Amino acid sequence: MMENVYKPDLMEVIEVKQHTVDVKSVKIKFRDPERAARFSYEVGQFGMFSLFGMGESTFNICSSSNWKDHIEFCFRKTGRVTEAFWQIDEGDTIGFRGPYGNSYPMEEWEGKNLIFIGGGIAMPPIRCAVWYALESREKYGNITVVYGARTTKDLVFEDELDQWAEYKDVRVIRCVDPGGETPEWTYEVGLVPNVLRDAQIPADNTVALVIGPPIMIKFTLPVLDQMGIAPASIYSSLENRMKCGVGKCGRCNCGPVYVCKEGPIFSFEQLSKLPSDF
Amino acid sequence: MSEIISREALLRAVDEWLKQGVPVLGPSRINDAFVAYAPLASSDALALDGYIHPRNSIKEAVFPKHEKIYAYHIKGSGVELEDPERSVAKQIVLAARPCDAAALPILDHVFNWDFKDAFYNARRAATTVVTLACTEHDAQCFCTSVGLGPAAENGSDAMLLPLGDGTFEVRCFTDKGRELFAGKTESSGQAAKVPAGPPERLDVGPITEFLKDSFDNPIWNELTLRCLGCGACAYECPTCHCFDIVDEGNAAGGYRAKNWDSCQFEMFTMHASGHNPRARQAQRQRQRVMHKFSIYPQKFGEVLCTGCGNCTRNCPVSLGILNTLMDLAAHLDTTGAK
Amino acid sequence: MEQELRDTCKRLLEEGAVDVIIGYGQSMPDGPVCPVFIKKAEDVGRLVWNRQCFGNLATYLTRKEIKALGKPAIVVKGCDERAVVVLEQESQIDRASVYVIGMACEGVGDPPASKCGYCDVHMPRFADAVIGEVANEPVSQDGRYAELDAFMKKTPEERFAYWTNELSRCVKCYACREVCPMCYCNRCIVDKNRPAVIDTSSTPMANFAWNMARAFHQAGRCVGCGECARVCPAGINLRLLNDSLAKAAEEGFGYRAGMDKDTPPVIGSYALQDEEEFIQ
Repeated sequence: MMENVYKPDLMEVIEVKQHTVDVKSVKIKFRDPERAARFSYEVGQFGMFSLFGMGESTFNICSSSNWKDHIEFCFRKTGRVTEAFWQIDEGDTIGFRGPYGNSYPMEEWEGKNLIFIGGGIAMPPIRCAVWYALESREKYGNITVVYGARTTKDLVFEDELDQWAEYKDVRVIRCVDPGGETPEWTYEVGLVPNVLRDAQIPADNTVALVIGPPIMIKFTLPVLDQMGIAPASIYSSLENRMKCGVGKCGRCNCGPVYVCKEGPIFSFEQLSKLPSDF
Repeated sequence: MSEIISREALLRAVDEWLKQGVPVLGPSRINDAFVAYAPLASSDALALDGYIHPRNSIKEAVFPKHEKIYAYHIKGSGVELEDPERSVAKQIVLAARPCDAAALPILDHVFNWDFKDAFYNARRAATTVVTLACTEHDAQCFCTSVGLGPAAENGSDAMLLPLGDGTFEVRCFTDKGRELFAGKTESSGQAAKVPAGPPERLDVGPITEFLKDSFDNPIWNELTLRCLGCGACAYECPTCHCFDIVDEGNAAGGYRAKNWDSCQFEMFTMHASGHNPRARQAQRQRQRVMHKFSIYPQKFGEVLCTGCGNCTRNCPVSLGILNTLMDLAAHLDTTGAK
Repeated sequence: MEQELRDTCKRLLEEGAVDVIIGYGQSMPDGPVCPVFIKKAEDVGRLVWNRQCFGNLATYLTRKEIKALGKPAIVVKGCDERAVVVLEQESQIDRASVYVIGMACEGVGDPPASKCGYCDVHMPRFADAVIGEVANEPVSQDGRYAELDAFMKKTPEERFAYWTNELSRCVKCYACREVCPMCYCNRCIVDKNRPAVIDTSSTPMANFAWNMARAFHQAGRCVGCGECARVCPAGINLRLLNDSLAKAAEEGFGYRAGMDKDTPPVIGSYALQDEEEFIQ
């Protein structure tokens, strides 16, 4: 039988969790146990998730690659396919193709201090890396998470932030934009770049992962630079419109780099050499 | 010594292949002005002269404009997926221009690097390509500027070279070609004289160099003003292969398909959020030229163009790759550098 | 006429009356005529006027990259000018912000395009500047729908078979849409996906759906410039489709798009004498 790289695996929806007014995360598992047994991926990779009849969407696999019985994705209700994903329930069938793309260089990061910086809906691709690192806690140095959203209602995976703070030498800083706080909010108020700067995190032997809206990244990079972290040690995950996910349909490229194959994870040193075609 | 075939014998062979149930795709007169590659119903439909290049390319034979990749059936909360009919029957492409055939080995790279597109590969394996060497060219042809020519053998299993008297010399290059023409040709002392082909219109080397760092160059805004953003160039191009994946059907089921797509459409890189990295036509045109003459060569070692001229012939505003390359060459001349 | 055109455009640019000339020029030496955009007075030599000036330049008046160039002057033949009239009627252009240079036209193409045989707008009628003069004798009006009338003598089965065959070649390149001045929607119906009313695939059903939908959207608006058919890479006889609806507008409502700016567009207006009772 011909191998069909465009044909997804059938997945069962195990759990749907709503995080905000327009963000949900979904746990899925392979319907075929044989396929489940053969499947593995590296943290940071993405997949093409199908809603049959509607289409496919590209999402990062936001669960740790150590978790063997399911994978997760998280999405904001934005367009035709994500609006259809919004309607799914436990027991439904969706499709999954993957894993695609490159992964976080977790081995390179061993022995280093890690700073994770995220904004809004960008938490999921950071979340998988944080869990992965915590699951081999001794391999990494100090871990700091700086996570902000516009308002308290826009925070995603907020309950897990509490869990992370329980780990040894893990510092979790959460913030909302000025005006986004409620009277009950006891954490930071400020834009992520400013909160990062004020946090005065030691930055020796450190790598940073920064994912968020372009404006947040634009103002975060100078802060990291001030902290003495070189672009080669700052990473991000690019988003670009994808269809095939396997380097053929010709739409996700930035210059000669196909984001679906040579990305989506790049260091800022690599990104500075890419044309801004994203 | 050469092998030759008469026009009559060739047409008889076509009818024989058709009778055996083998589809034959060849140049066909659609109307007075129009010759295009089309499935032949009989040898009567085959056009062997009176045109420079058909309006389309042969890529439909290996990369259809619409190809179902699987069917889905929805049953409650379950889904069944069904592979499409897999046996890709043997097919013949007859009287393809050498610039069309040469596109196939170029396309092999993208459909096989890392992940393999089995749809493409199955059709490729099932297709025998017989080219018809060119005896003349027009102002849009520039195969000689990209390393090809009127009798280039790339991608051909066999070639017909007109001898000028209604017969053709037959040259077979592969087993498929030899098998196809076994017993159909006669020995002869005649050998075809291949014309020189179009003059080299430009030197692609400096342009490829320039393109590497041309992303932010404002020249793209000037060169592309008349582009209307349709898909005519991409769809009639032998090497363009960008595609879309769509689900079509209803609540009970349907299919997922691969369709031709064009980087010139505004929707090509449109994100669901409304963000579009290539919101302006100039950016889309830049992508087209860079993909063909910078990105593809960087990744796969060959330019993604065979100089067939179809883009210019089909473009409603005669923009085309040759035009753009010549404007770039002129720009390089006048500015002296990047 | 070519020199007079160049002189007029030179003057317009030098005086700052317009920022850009949308006209015809040579794509390459000895190459086909194509649209050009002249922004500097010293470049007016690139403008040409000859029988190869196909192309309805009015399609550029609604394109954002061209609008960004500033106030345009546009070179039009009579058929193109009709499109400018429709754009004004449909509030897509501010007529005062477009300088229309009308060219007296004896016809394009060699042999002349079929549309030129029955043309009754050889002379521009609403231009800001007119260049040249030619007899504006309409050939017999009967010529206008001759091909359509002959075609309509076939049975429905024959006609359906004809269109099934023609449209099987459609590749969904949308060249017909992009050359048409009347197709200016920011998001075309075929690009909408919530819901997806017209499949983008090239299948018999979806090809019919697209081409019929476009023809319907041109009903009472198509000016008969024939560009869609000329540019179709698959050689589909699109003019025949659009003509059938243009004829319906003319025979049913006495309306021809773009002939008179003061006659309200047929789709956007009603008259008490209209046949249908529901409108009363």
